[in-house]
This record gives sequence, structure tokens and C-alpha cells, in this order.
Amino acid sequence: MTLPDTIVAPATPEGVSALAMLRLDGAEVHALTLAALGRITPLVPRKATLGIWHNPEGQALDQVVVTFYAAGASATGNTSVEIACHGNPRLVRALVTDCLTRGARMAEPGEFTRRAFLNGKIDLTQAEAIAGLVHAESERALESARRLLAGELGRAVAVWSDRTLSALATLEAHIDFPEEDLPPENPQGPRGILLQLGRELTAAAATARHEESLRNGIRLAVVGAPNAGKSSLLNALCGSSRALVSPVAGTTRDYLEAEVQGLPIRVTAVDTAGLRTSGDTLEAAGMERTREQAARADFLLWVVDQSCPPPALTEEWSHWLTAGRAALVTNKSDLPAHAELNNFLPTLPRIACCLLDGRDASHLRQALGQLLERADLAPAGDHLVVGTRHAEAMNRAAARFSLAAQHLEKGSQATELAATEVRAGLDDLAEVVGKVDNERMLDKLFASFCIGK
Amino acid sequence: MLSHRKEIRIGPGRPYDVLVCGAGHAGIEAALAAARMGADTLLLTGNLDTIGQMSCNPAIGGQAKGHMVREIDALGGAMGLTADVTGIHYRLLNSSKGPAVQAPRTQCDKKAYQLRMKHLCELQPNLTIFQAQVTGLLNKGDRVTGVQTNLDLDFYAKSVVVTTGTFLRGLMHIGANKNEGGRLGDFSSKSLSGSFLQHGIELERLKTGTPPRILGSTIDFSQCSEQPGDTHPTLFAFMDTRPETDLFHVEQAGERLAGWKPGTEQVSCWMTEATGKTGEIVAANLHLSPLYGGEIQSVGPRYCPSIEDKFVKFSDKETHKLFLEPEGRGTNEWYINGLSTSLPFRVQLEMVRSVPGLENAVMLRPAYAVEYDFAPPTQLHPTLESKKLGGLFFAGQINGTSGYEEAGGQGLVAGANAASQVLGGPPLVLERDQSYIGVLIDDLVTKGTKEPYRMFTSRAEYRLLLNHGSADVRLVDVAERMQLVPEDRLKRVKEKASHVHHWATMADKMTIPGGLMGDVVRKAPTMDQVSLPPSFLTLGTEVRDEVLYRVKYKGYLEREQRQAAKLRDLEHWFVPAGFNYQGVPSLRLEARAKLQEIQPATLGQAGRISGITPADIALLMIWLRAKGEGAHVPRRT
Repeated sequence: MTLPDTIVAPATPEGVSALAMLRLDGAEVHALTLAALGRITPLVPRKATLGIWHNPEGQALDQVVVTFYAAGASATGNTSVEIACHGNPRLVRALVTDCLTRGARMAEPGEFTRRAFLNGKIDLTQAEAIAGLVHAESERALESARRLLAGELGRAVAVWSDRTLSALATLEAHIDFPEEDLPPENPQGPRGILLQLGRELTAAAATARHEESLRNGIRLAVVGAPNAGKSSLLNALCGSSRALVSPVAGTTRDYLEAEVQGLPIRVTAVDTAGLRTSGDTLEAAGMERTREQAARADFLLWVVDQSCPPPALTEEWSHWLTAGRAALVTNKSDLPAHAELNNFLPTLPRIACCLLDGRDASHLRQALGQLLERADLAPAGDHLVVGTRHAEAMNRAAARFSLAAQHLEKGSQATELAATEVRAGLDDLAEVVGKVDNERMLDKLFASFCIGK
Repeated sequence: MLSHRKEIRIGPGRPYDVLVCGAGHAGIEAALAAARMGADTLLLTGNLDTIGQMSCNPAIGGQAKGHMVREIDALGGAMGLTADVTGIHYRLLNSSKGPAVQAPRTQCDKKAYQLRMKHLCELQPNLTIFQAQVTGLLNKGDRVTGVQTNLDLDFYAKSVVVTTGTFLRGLMHIGANKNEGGRLGDFSSKSLSGSFLQHGIELERLKTGTPPRILGSTIDFSQCSEQPGDTHPTLFAFMDTRPETDLFHVEQAGERLAGWKPGTEQVSCWMTEATGKTGEIVAANLHLSPLYGGEIQSVGPRYCPSIEDKFVKFSDKETHKLFLEPEGRGTNEWYINGLSTSLPFRVQLEMVRSVPGLENAVMLRPAYAVEYDFAPPTQLHPTLESKKLGGLFFAGQINGTSGYEEAGGQGLVAGANAASQVLGGPPLVLERDQSYIGVLIDDLVTKGTKEPYRMFTSRAEYRLLLNHGSADVRLVDVAERMQLVPEDRLKRVKEKASHVHHWATMADKMTIPGGLMGDVVRKAPTMDQVSLPPSFLTLGTEVRDEVLYRVKYKGYLEREQRQAAKLRDLEHWFVPAGFNYQGVPSLRLEARAKLQEIQPATLGQAGRISGITPADIALLMIWLRAKGEGAHVPRRT
């Protein structure tokens, strides 16, 4: 039997959990898995194998358990592999991306089920149910495609496709109408367009890393010594008296979550118990929670009372508090600053404020927004954000255009090879906005050039 | 002798196997193909003197068209060799680009071409030709049984191929002047359109045009630039299949191997241009053009615009190139390529005189536009058989195409299918990764056409696999299966194929000075510096060229093969005839309507219908499998 091409998709819902699972299906699953695990010995069918999943650069992504199923003895009937990894959405995404890099493609909606059906793994009486499923999935896919088309990305890709078609039409005009009354052939024109398109596509595809943070938001932990003003900061950010505030140190003994409004992405701020050595067991438990929250957070705000001597930090905290992942908020800017503050966490960006009556709230939000953008946790304002699936297609298109440009660099002898690459790139873009009919290229060609003897 | 049967039979008694209406470029190939396959064939034409007439430019081939002529030749057709031996000017287009997009084109002696075609039809065993104009179809239930003619003679046949070109309700325009006819000097076929409509075959209108012809002795060539032909002509025919003694040419009786040696005594073409002065004449008279006055509503081809269109739509261009092409050795008639128009004759005279070199030119025939009926080809199966009436096949301009080569390719396929259906053989459906003719027919029956359809290499998604030099190797299996070429020829092509295959494989095993033969060939900008193995150099040029092409472009060719293979599976999911898409509940309404209209033969074809999504195909696949309908059969090679 000839096996179909290799597809990949997460098999468990998105979200934090103990474990998550990915499925790979198709001709190349075994070779792909061996390569990622750095193994030479073949996988034994139906036997769980522990290994470290690496990306092609050799960087370890996660410790995983893989199970290989031989053709004919899997759920789909093709060779397939199940990968159990740790249940972190970011990690799952990294593994999927790695499989794409290694030659797999994202599964279409319902594709695993369809494959199972076509291989006779599912009873024919279920066909109608599956047809319904495919229908529902395709309706959903169409709906999301329609939304996409109406959206920013859809419009951007439509413009890229259109410019690609113009470059292609110029190449094709000189291939198909060599004796016509065309302007002299100059492959550097289309080459320039293609190089520029490649750059734009690569840049846009790079924003795919923001997809997850945009969808799920990020977590921001507010940490620091007791009574530094962490809860006041939370209230200032959230614009409400979410946290109980008092001049008594250690008021917050557990943690509190609240949504921060007015930032480019959804931010969940977590107020935590102040860190100090204390005999109070309840407070000790609170501090343990604080450490957990700090580990889970995407970004930390360490709050200090600038009039007090800065606290001593454990090694653990020094490790977490690095530029790009944390900032220092110097509260009580109305009071004189303590002399040692200059040497406290000197590498971190600083936000000075006075949280006494919430007057600095908008200044704070603005400063935080810039910090998140600089930390690459949020996309810069004017960039569109691309999903992983679309980024994959756009990167492939960019690679094709770069190959086409290489053919054109030599002149006009290999324009047909360049055109072949450009067409392949257009097909890649078509995965985002739908198939471009060849007629549209011809429309452009006949509109741009006076063809016809 | 049965194998040479030629006989006129009227009435239903003993029907012909195949009857072809029309002896243009489609009709000739249809009739010859059917007869070669052993079908008892009748070819009817309204005028025996215009068999194989080149109604427009006197050339065969060109980009994508030249590729198709070689494919026609590979399937035993007559167009290639006839163009070769009647050629007076040969050029290989795109010779500076890669082999896949190079194409031969040949200016032919128009009359010689026609006479050779007529004589081939006369000589062809199993083929009877007769002059009569077809006026209507005869049928029994949903099957065609024959045709009526203007002579009140009815001819009966088991299958009928319609190749009526532009003759269906043909209407010619020269300014306000209108003449009925499919071509200047010829008739218009009016009642046949009615007969099609009666059988539920829908008709629409298209438009095309042709430029003026002038007397060569009145051209001032000193003002034109010469375009000589290639010193080493690239021919269409893969082999000279002419018998030593059977001459085609009445004028050269007594000679052996009639015709002149291709490539000798070539005639040049000449180039001049329509100037700003021409543009002014066009602008001043635009209101007199039936195209701009609204008189002609039908759609004309964008790639062959009238001079009016050129000056109006590309007003920033001051001049437009014109090519002066001789129509033959034995005539002084010249064709002005690029000056197609439907402006009044008086304006045409003025326009011609505004062209450098043509100031004193004397016109022999006016330019004109012609409107005609065509039958939208989505009404056809991929075999070119009508979905409305069994046994009825359509080929050529009636399907909305333009060009001799497009017509010839369809004619050959329609004729072969008409014969095969009667003789109980397999259908002939060429695939898109196999030939331009396959691309052409698939586009026509799947997407239809809004303008006269012309082939471009850019229409083929597997363009690199379809280089002209490989047509015989690509199609040898088809030629054998359909019995379109004789045994000895098959044997020679298979030999070539096996040499090509052997050397293409060897190249990646064999070392030559500089490294592995394949690597050296791929890196070298030209072959001059490469020391190829002596045993390779003893092979014929055609084999060597094909091997070097396959070696040099290996990566690309393999990629296209992989892409084609990926989709091929879908080409072998056959949808049962008359499948009811209304019965597939989950199918989107738009998809249901389109599929119901086109009735694709395979899921592959279904997927190429515009607006059909992969999800629709997945659904159909599941449905067909679940209901046990349709069949998934391996590719026949």
C-alpha cells in the first residue's frame, strides 16, 4: 500500500495539563521520529519509548514518550506515532512546529478520521456520521477562512498573492510570447519583487510566536517584599479595589488574579504574598504559592518601597529576575530614594511611580505595555499576527521566492524554472486564502502587455 | 480488399463506423485516426477544395502549439509531417531558454499543405471522403445514428464527430458590411445549429478575426527588417513515415519521396510596424468598427486583439509590431500578422498604407471579424463525447478553441474515441501530466471557456515534464493501447525510450572527467566542455538531447512527477455516470450545483472545477466508498 503524506496535529485540547499528546500519521512518521529522538534503532510497534525530542539544531525540546504503530495496525491504518509530552501549550506548539520543519504538514480538520475511514478502519455504517463531521469541520474551516479573508491577514495575503501574480505574469509573458511586441526582457524586475515579497513574508511569519500569547493572554506576577505596594499596584493596573490593601505588612497571604485592561494583549496579573522570613506558617505557605506563581508567570514585576533598603535575594529569585522577563517598580516615588537602591537589580528596566492614590495608573499601563512589547511577549502595534499554520505556509512561499530569485539572478535562461518556483509559492499562499486560478495570472498578463500579432 | 475499403453508402442499411463532419484541422485528424484504428470512416466536407485550409495565418506550431503538434505526431497524426514537408520557413522559439519552453514553428506553403492533406485523406485505407454539407443530425433515442445533408442524402454511422469550425451561423463583418459564412468565400451552416438546439445542446457565440492579405510585389522590403529562418530546422515529425513511392503531390508525379527537403530554400519573413499615423486613422474611425459600435457582442480572444484594441487599450504604446509572412512559394499573397481588424475596407486601405513598407501595397483580401456558434465544451465528457447525445463527438473550434493545433489535437482524440467506442476498445483520455492535449481537453470539459481558447505553456502545471522532444516517449503507451501507430514505429519509439531511460539512470552511476556524469552535466553551463562517454555520443541527437534534459533538470522533473503522483490517485476515483449529487446531503449547495452541471468523470476532475474545495472532495470520496459506488482503479499504462 502507498502511504499518504505525513500530517501532524495535537490530539489533546489546548491548556495547561500534566500531559499532552500529538499525533503523527503518514509515510514518513518513523523516519521523522527517529531523527528527532536521535535514534538509530527502529521503534518497536506498540511499545512506549522514552526519549528526548530535539529540533534539527540539536536543541532539546522536551522529554517525551513515543509510541509507534505499524501500517495496518494503527487507528488510521497508516504508520503513525503518538507523542506524549508535558502539558504546556507552548511546548506542544514547539513540537508541532518542529514536525513541520521536518517535513510533516498540519492535518486538515477531520483528516485523521478521514484517513481511518478510507483505510477501512471504521465501519461503513459510520460513513454518514463522518460525512456529517467532515461537513461540519469544512463549514467551520470555510467560516474561519471567510473571517480570515475579511481580516487583516487575509487582505495582506491577497495583496502578496497579487504582487506575486504580477511578477509571474511578467515571467510568463516572455516565456509564452517570445516573439511578441513586449518590452525587453529584464528578469531583475520580477526578481526584485520576489525578494521583497520573501522579506515581507518572513517578517510576517515571525509574528506567529505571538499567536498563543494573543489567544491565551500572558501571566504577570507582582512580587516583592511585604508592604512594598504590590496589591496597590494590582489595583492601579486593574482599575479597581480587587486586592485588600492595608499598611500592615503581610496583608496578602494567598494570591489574587485580575485582568489588566488597556494593553495590546490580555494580561492576567497575579498579586502574591510578600517575601520575607517569617515564623507564621500560614504566611510561609503563602510564600510557597508566590514562588509557584513566579515560576508560571511570563513576566514579573518586582515592587520595592524606594524609601526602604532593598531586600536580600535568594539565588532562585536572582535567576528569575532577568531583563526581558522582569522589571523593577520603584514605589513611593514621593519619598526620598534609599542609597542602596541603585545597586539593586541594576539590569532590570525600572518604572518609578507613586501608588498612593492610583494617580499613576495610566502611566504604569503604558510603561508595562512597552516593556511587554520589548520582551517580545506582545506584537508591536502595526504588525499583523499570523497563526502557526499560516506562518508555515508563508515561510515555505518565502523560500520558494528566494529560489526563484536565484534562478533570475543569472539572467533569462532559466525563467521557466523561476516560474515553477513562483507557482509553488503561490500554491503555498493559497493555503491561507484559497486557490488562485491560473486565469488570474493570464488576466494580469493580457492587461499588462499588448499581446497578439 | 477490406483493409482498404472505400465506398459511398447512403441510407440506414450498413452504417459507417465513424462519420466526421468537416475536413478542417480537427476533422482531418479525427478521420485519419479513426481509419488508422481500423474503423470504416466517412469524412464529409462542404468543399473538397478547402480540406485542411489555413484560414488565418500560414503557420503551424509556436509556443505550446508546437508542443501539441509533436504530440499529434506521436499519436500518428498528419499535422507534423505535413507542416515539415510543406514548410518554407522554420524557427525554434525560445531557443535561449530551457528545453521545456522551446517550441518549433513553421511557416507553410498554404496550398501545398492543403493539397498534401487532401491527398493523405484520399490515400488513407478505411477512409472515404465526399463533398456534402451536413444540415442536421439523425438520432434514435439518445444516440446519434447519422446526418442529413444539403443534397438530401442521409448518411448513417454508429458514431459522429462534429468539426464544423466557425461555420455554424458564421457571420463576417467588415465595417457595416455583413456576409454570412464561416470564412471569406465560403458558406455558413445554418440548419445544423437548429438541429443541435433540438437535441438539447446549448450554443453560444464567439468572435475571431483575420488581417488583410496583400500582394508581395507591392511591398517595399527595404523599409522592413528581415527575419530569416533557422539554418538547422527543428521538425515536428519524430520520423519520416512517407512511403518511397506513394506520392502526395499531383504536381510532382514521378518523383520519389515527394516534396522538397525540409529546411532548404527557405523564405524569410519581414518585420515592420503600425505607426502613430496608423493609430490616428484607427482613432478617427473607431465609431465605424462593429467591435466598438456594439454591433459585435461576442467575445474575441485577448491574445489576438484587433488593431483597434491595441491602440485603444495600450494607448501609451506608440507603435505595434507587424510581421509580413509569405503564404507560399507558388503565390505572391502575403499575410500581415498583427493587423487583424473589422474596420470598413476604406479605412483598412488607409491603415495599410500608413505602415512603413506598405505605402503602395495592393490588398488582395480584406481583413474581417467573424462571429460563430460554439457549443460550450462543459457539455462534453473527457472523451469529447456529448453528454446529451450518445455517439456524438465534438472537436475543434466548435468547442470554443482557436488554432489549428488545438483543433488537430482534439480531432485526433475525438476520432480515436469515436472509433474505439464502435470497435469495443478503451477510451482515450490523456492526462495533464502526460500532454498538452490532455491539459487542453481537461480545461475545456472542466472549466469551459469565455473566449476562444488558445494553449499556453503556462496553462500546464507540469510544464517541465511536457518538453516537445519527449512527446513520442510520453505517448508511446497510449499510441500502442489505442493502436494509433503501426508496430514498426512503436518498436522504434520503445527503443528510444529504453535508451533514454538507461542513460538517465547511468548518469548518476557513471564517472566522467570532472566527476559523476550527472553532476558534471548539471553544473556545466553548456555541454561544449563536458567530455561525455563515447558510447553515449554514438546515440542519435534526439536521444542525447532528451537524456541531457532529464539529467540536467532531474530535481525539477522529479518534483513535478511527485506532485502529479500525489494527485493521480484522485484521477482514478471514477464517479458513476449520472451520479446524483442531490443525494449527498452534507455537500454544500454551490458544490452540488457545479458538480451536477459538469458531472466530472473522476474525483480528480471534480477537484479542478472552480469553487470545489478539498473538503467537498473528501466528502464525495467518503460517500462513494460508503455507498459502494464508483470505482478506484489503478492507472492504466
